[in-house]
This record gives sequence, structure tokens and C-alpha cells, in this order.
Amino acid sequence: MYPPDEPKHTEACHAGLSRRRFLRLLAQGGLLLAAAPQPLSAATPPESVTVLTGYPDEMMRVFEAAFERAHPHYRLNLLWRTASDALPYLLQDGAGVDVYWSASPRTFARLKAENRLQPLPVQAEDLPERIGGTRISDPQGHYLATEVAGYGFVVNEAELARRRVPLPRDWPDLADPRLARAIVLPTPGQVGFASVLVDIPLQRHGWPRGWALWSEIAGLSRLIPRGGSGAAEEVAGGAAAIGLTIDFFAHSAIARGMPLRFIYPKHGGINPAHVAQLKAAPNPEGAQAFIDFLLSREGQTLLAHRDIHKLPVRPDVYAGLPADYHNPFQAAARGGYAYDNDAGRPRLALVASLFDTMLAQDHARLVDLWSRIHRAEDRGEDMRAIRRVLCRPPIDERAAASDTLLASFANRLEGNRDAPGEMERHWRRQVDSTRTHVETLLDGANA
Amino acid sequence: MIRRLLPVSLLLLVGVSAAAPLETTDVSANAFSWPIAGLSEEERHAFQRGRGLFRQPWVIAPSHSPESDGLGPLYNRLSCVACHPANGRGRAPERPEQRMRSMLVRLSVPGVDADAPPRPHPAYGDQLNEEGIPGVPGEGRASIEWLEHEVLLDDGTKVSLREPRLRFSELAYGPLGADIQTSARVGQPLIGMGLLDAITQRQLQTLTDRSRRLGLNGRVNQVDDVRTGAPGSGRFGHKANQPNLRQQTAAAMHGDLGITSSLFPEQNCTPAQLACQRAPEGGQPELTDSQLNDLEFYFAHLAPPARRDRDSPRVQRGERLFQRLGCHGCHLPSITTGEHPRFPRLSHQAIQPYTDLLLHDMGEGLADHRPDFSAGGREWRTAPLWGIGLTETVNGHTEFLHDGRARNLTEAILWHGGEAQRSRDGFAALDRDAREALLAFLRSL
Repeated sequence: MYPPDEPKHTEACHAGLSRRRFLRLLAQGGLLLAAAPQPLSAATPPESVTVLTGYPDEMMRVFEAAFERAHPHYRLNLLWRTASDALPYLLQDGAGVDVYWSASPRTFARLKAENRLQPLPVQAEDLPERIGGTRISDPQGHYLATEVAGYGFVVNEAELARRRVPLPRDWPDLADPRLARAIVLPTPGQVGFASVLVDIPLQRHGWPRGWALWSEIAGLSRLIPRGGSGAAEEVAGGAAAIGLTIDFFAHSAIARGMPLRFIYPKHGGINPAHVAQLKAAPNPEGAQAFIDFLLSREGQTLLAHRDIHKLPVRPDVYAGLPADYHNPFQAAARGGYAYDNDAGRPRLALVASLFDTMLAQDHARLVDLWSRIHRAEDRGEDMRAIRRVLCRPPIDERAAASDTLLASFANRLEGNRDAPGEMERHWRRQVDSTRTHVETLLDGANA
Repeated sequence: MIRRLLPVSLLLLVGVSAAAPLETTDVSANAFSWPIAGLSEEERHAFQRGRGLFRQPWVIAPSHSPESDGLGPLYNRLSCVACHPANGRGRAPERPEQRMRSMLVRLSVPGVDADAPPRPHPAYGDQLNEEGIPGVPGEGRASIEWLEHEVLLDDGTKVSLREPRLRFSELAYGPLGADIQTSARVGQPLIGMGLLDAITQRQLQTLTDRSRRLGLNGRVNQVDDVRTGAPGSGRFGHKANQPNLRQQTAAAMHGDLGITSSLFPEQNCTPAQLACQRAPEGGQPELTDSQLNDLEFYFAHLAPPARRDRDSPRVQRGERLFQRLGCHGCHLPSITTGEHPRFPRLSHQAIQPYTDLLLHDMGEGLADHRPDFSAGGREWRTAPLWGIGLTETVNGHTEFLHDGRARNLTEAILWHGGEAQRSRDGFAALDRDAREALLAFLRSL
């Protein structure tokens, strides 16, 4: 009898050790490990490559099957964590993870800062470091972009037509009173990807104008706490005309037959997803093979699968994709992706907090204020002064760039639900006071 | 594709027919994903929450996501959707070196004597969990090798059938033993399950009587209802080994993902699996009753698809042949549901599931020789056929039967034996046109 819990394939274990030694010899000889998949003999169980990811099963099953087909001597062991949960998991000793693959740039940045990532061979000739103004890979190669996703608008054309609203082309088009209650907007305090979404117009239009835009858009919107396919479903069902989201959620819904269209705004933004090898990876060769596969033409082409629909980071892959597949490199050449994520990243948590404080909390009151302003403007009244008061953010751009303030938000990752601090409570009181003042002004104007 | 000219008011009910509100008219890859029409706002939210749980990958405990942690310690996949893609059908691996991605293997050993029910394997339990959380060895690997043989139809057409041979490797808790009983299963479509849940015990008895009158031996599996502790009538599972949808749901969460619930509160570790027993839990239970409610609601209200091409002469001919060959004896075309104990919307509804929910002897060819409660090794529950014609659209393949051995509908029919032998032989005796008509009818379901 074998003792409980003790794996018993002793011969296979010996076979695995000698094989690893063989692979090391190959590597020392300068040969590419991933280029020589070996047939699996019955006596040699595949080596496990443990991948921690935040991606859904629909995506991972495609890559799992293709990778194991290309490398039958490896077997993927998939673990799943949300962005905010992955960091503490990876920081603990003995997590046993070889590769982290996720769309959470701040988690990768923290892991790099904690010296947990193994620098990867730079492949600059095939993999650009930037798309437009957005840096997609770590300059020191601790984590590399595997794909990007574009922010934009998922629309229900029939519902827009019913409201006589043209297709939105850029962010200011959303501030249209005819869209009252017809926009669904994921809140950055609850939905990880929404922080960058909020920051894109802030960078494009500047701090005061950007927050004014967001105030008005939020005043027309329904806020939803769900990311993912939530916005697309709301719009497909006719409960809204426009949803703010990431392209692949909309495209996979479209591929499943939902009556939707996705629009990349004229001044958009992209969110890179990354892959990294952990320094403590139990299977570094397997980790490298998986990473090489993700960045290969085959792996990059899989991103166009119906259930995935993400944007490859290898420009040469687009030639083999459908003509209407969005090409971010071409869009960037037209100036569509000026968003500087290096500049944005340090303040994303702050931006999410400000959005929450200024716009999401007591949202019904904000909706009511904007409704009164729009009705008054319909009557021809001048609301510019009142707009200025309502749209003013609790802090100006200079204060928002304060190192001290940014440091207090540095550890807050996507989807974090920490309780508000004293600073946020102060902003909250300030926003309440502003709204009371606006109500008084509107009352005075009979609006 | 969804009809794009639906009026806006109907978009709220996208994919749902006004004539038959329980059915969806969507024929896209999303066809198995719609709720039945008319849900209230609160019910829609429950459906959406259930869908979220269905798609959500589960996380190893402890985590900062307590609502979704507790994976394993032993498990097959991370999420429900892994084995039921798009609420549809899983498939078997093509080659021995491929993993089971939407398939699992049930295990048992014979009872203590010839009349006693089978028991879970003492070291591995009743299901091979290939995966384990870090520190807990996965139980081992099962692979499939296909053996082909040819059958000849009466008009001389040759059809190759494939039969699986299971092989186990990397067994971490000792040998399985010579008396091991195994049964490989692919994930089944999830549509219309609430409606089948509303078929009452009395109706099942009436269906048994009907079966007898037709010269068949359909019967109800007598199983354990873990909530009441009393015997129950089996309705769900390939051998009808679960009495209701709630228990089926909780059992799958427990067996496939290692998630405990109030119905199955113990971790899925055998006495031999010490590391498994010591592993951290994600709550007691890990799936709260509220989450189980949402999952059950979601599965209960997934709409079956409406039939298509009813006016096609070929489909109509195929439907007549379906009757003439006696297929309807088990694949009962229509029934009216009884009183659903919790979801009144599902009560007293005329449905077309093409199943009688009864166990039938399907012959030696399909036998797994693994009894399950009172179901014998040759017996299987009649598989519902609604939605079968959309399998390729939804799941990108046309593989059927409990272990996915049939690569198309013809092969599935030709595997029928036992009580279905006469119908199978009748099909094999048809000329090509007639066979195609019967298949066209099945594709219209």
C-alpha cells in the first residue's frame, strides 16, 4: 500500500527529473525550448505549468487546449483570482504559481516593485513597447503585454434612433440630454477596468472640463456595479441605448447574436493585459514556453476567437484577421490612442475615489440636478454659472498630483472595497454642500 | 441570428416567442442562454445573479472574495460553465493525450453483496477529481482511447461507430482495484430543467404505466432525497440519480467543484485523503443557501428553444417516421407540467421535451455496468431532445450520448439497443431519403 497523499508514480518522477536535466542541457546549448514539442510517452506524465489568471473560462479553455496541443509535454494548471485578490496570493511564499496572466497593470507594477517577477527576454522587433501614447509593456521586461482591449461605447441602434440621437463618435457626444437614463456606466469603485475609462476623457479634455463632462454624463446615466458583459446585456435588452465598456465584452455579445454595435471613440484608450513569470516559479521552463506561446503568431491569432475578441499586440497578426477587426496600431497612427497610461496609472485609484464621491454616491440627487438644469436650458435659460458650481471637482488638478495624496491611494487596486478614509469623508461633505448650493441656485432661478 | 426587426418593446424579451412564451426563438450561439419570458424585475435579477455564479471561476480559500472561495480541495474544473459551455453540451477528448475538459468519470465499487447498492470507491469517492488545490494531490488522470467498428445499414451504407476505452494514470491515492466500476460523462445541456423539475411523482408513475402499455419497461429510479432523508423519484442525471433540480445543482457543485452547501456540507475528501481533509474551507457551507437559490433559479428558468422548420415537408415526414419507428415511446413529445413546488411560473405548462424521464434498458452497447441507486448498468434515463438541433450552433460540435461517443445523430441512433433495439433497427432499414428526413426532424428540435 502507498501512504496517503504520497504520489506513487516513482518511475515517472525519475523520468521527469532526467528530462528536466536534458532540457537544461538544451538551454545551455542555446536552443529554444519551446520550439521542440515532444510527443508524450505513456510513462511520462506532462509537467504542470501553473497559471494564475483573472480571465474567464471561455477564454482560458481556448488557450489551454491550444497550448497543450502545441506542447503536449506540458499541462496547464489554472488558478483564478480577481485583481485585488491576486496580489496577496502571489506575495505569499509557496503559492506555486509559474505565470501570472491578467489585465491588471497595477498588480504587475506592484509585483515588480516587490521583486517577484523574472525579467523576460525582450522581443522588441515583434512586440512594440507602445501603442500611441500608451506604454503596453514594462520597459525592463518584467511583464509583457499579451493583448490590449479598447474602451468605448456599446450601442443599441434601434434605441438611439427612437430617441433621435446620432451614433456617438466621442466622449462629449454622450452629454446629450436626450440620453437621460439611457446610458449605463460601470462605477470605477466596483469595476476594475472603469478607472482607466474615467481617466481617458480627463486626460483628453483636462481636469476641470473632463470632470464637468463626467458630471453631466453620470447625471444622464444609470450606474451599474457589474463589469463584464453587464453593460452589453443592459443595452441589448433595450434597458439602455449606450453602455460604456470594453470592446471584447461587446464583441462577444455581438458574436452570440445580440443586436449591438461597438464604437471606438475618436479619442480612445486601451488597457493592456500582461503576462509575467514569477521568480519563484516551480517550472520556469514551462512558464517560458507558455509565455512564448501567448506571444507567438498562433497564440496571438487565438485572441480573435469568437468568445475572446481581444486585440493582439503583434502588428503582423492583423493581416490575417477580418478586415473590420479593429487595428489599434492603425487607430493610433490616426491619433486615436494618445492616452498616456504612465501618467494616468499613479492617479487611477484617486480618480476612482473622486468619481465615487462626486458622482456615484447619492446618485439620484445628481440625476435630479442635471434634469433640472437640462429642463431650464430647454426653456432657453442660461445655466452656465450653475453648471460651473456643480461640475467643480472637490480638488483641483494640482492637488490631485500631490505626492502625499497619491501615496495614500497607492495600495488601492482595482475593485478594492476599502472603507473611505478621512479625506474621502471630507470630499463627501464638500460635495453635499455643493449640491445644496446648486439646489438653492436652481430654486432661485425657478429651474 | 436574432431577428433584427423585432419591435423595440420586444427587445426586452429578445429571443422569446410571443406564441410560446416558455420557448426562445433565438437560433444563434446564444440560443440556450435566455430566460423564459415574463420574469419580474426581481426574478430577472435572480436569474442574472445565478448566471454570474454559473460563469464564475471559484477561488481557493482563503481569499478576499469570500463569496466565491472554497474551490476543492479536489475538483474537476473551476466553474460550472467549463463543462456546460453556453449552457450546452460538453464533449469528449478526441485523442488519449487530450484532457477531459468538459467530461468526468464516475467511480464506484460493488455493494457488499449482490443485492446491495454500489458504494463509492474507498480512496477516490464516487468521482475522479483530476485537480487538487496546492498541497492536495489531484486524484489522477483519465484518458480515452477510441475503438472503431463498422455497422452496415440495410441499404449497404457503412457507418463507423467509436467506443471509448478509459485509461487511468497518475493515480495519487493507490490503485483503483480490479472491481472498479467506471462511467464517463460529458456535460449536458441545461435548458428547460425547471420544467422537467415540475413533472410530479404522480406523473412519473403515469408515464411508467404508459411505458408498460407500449410494451416498454420504463421505470423511475428510486434515489435519496438528502434534504428530507426520504426516498425520492429520480429526474436528473444520465441515470436519473437526483430527485430534483436543487439537489442536482448542489451535487454538481460538490462533486465537480468541491463546493459545499447545506445539502452537501462535508468536503469531498475520502478518509485516505489526509491533505484534502486538512485544507482550508471557504465557509460552512461554501455555497450559501442564497447562492444556491440563485443558481437553482437560473437553471430552472433557462428557456428551451422553439421548434424550427415545422412547415418543411421533409421535417414533417421525419416526424411521422419518428412516430412510426416508435421513438416517441421513450422520447415523449409533449407533456403538461404539474405543480412546481417553488416556481409557480413553471407549473401547468405544455412542453415538448421529448423525454419520459424514465430509465430504460439501452442494451449492452451503451452499458456502463455501473449501477446507480436502482438503475442497472444497462439502464439510462431518456435524454431530452429539445434543443438537440442547435448543438452545432451553440457548441460547435455534434457529439451525443452520455460519453460523447456519437459524432452525429445517425451514430447516436445506431448506438440504441435494449428496449430501443426495434426503433434502431427500423432506422437502419430506412432508405437514405427517409433517414435524412428523420434527421431533419431531429435537427428541427
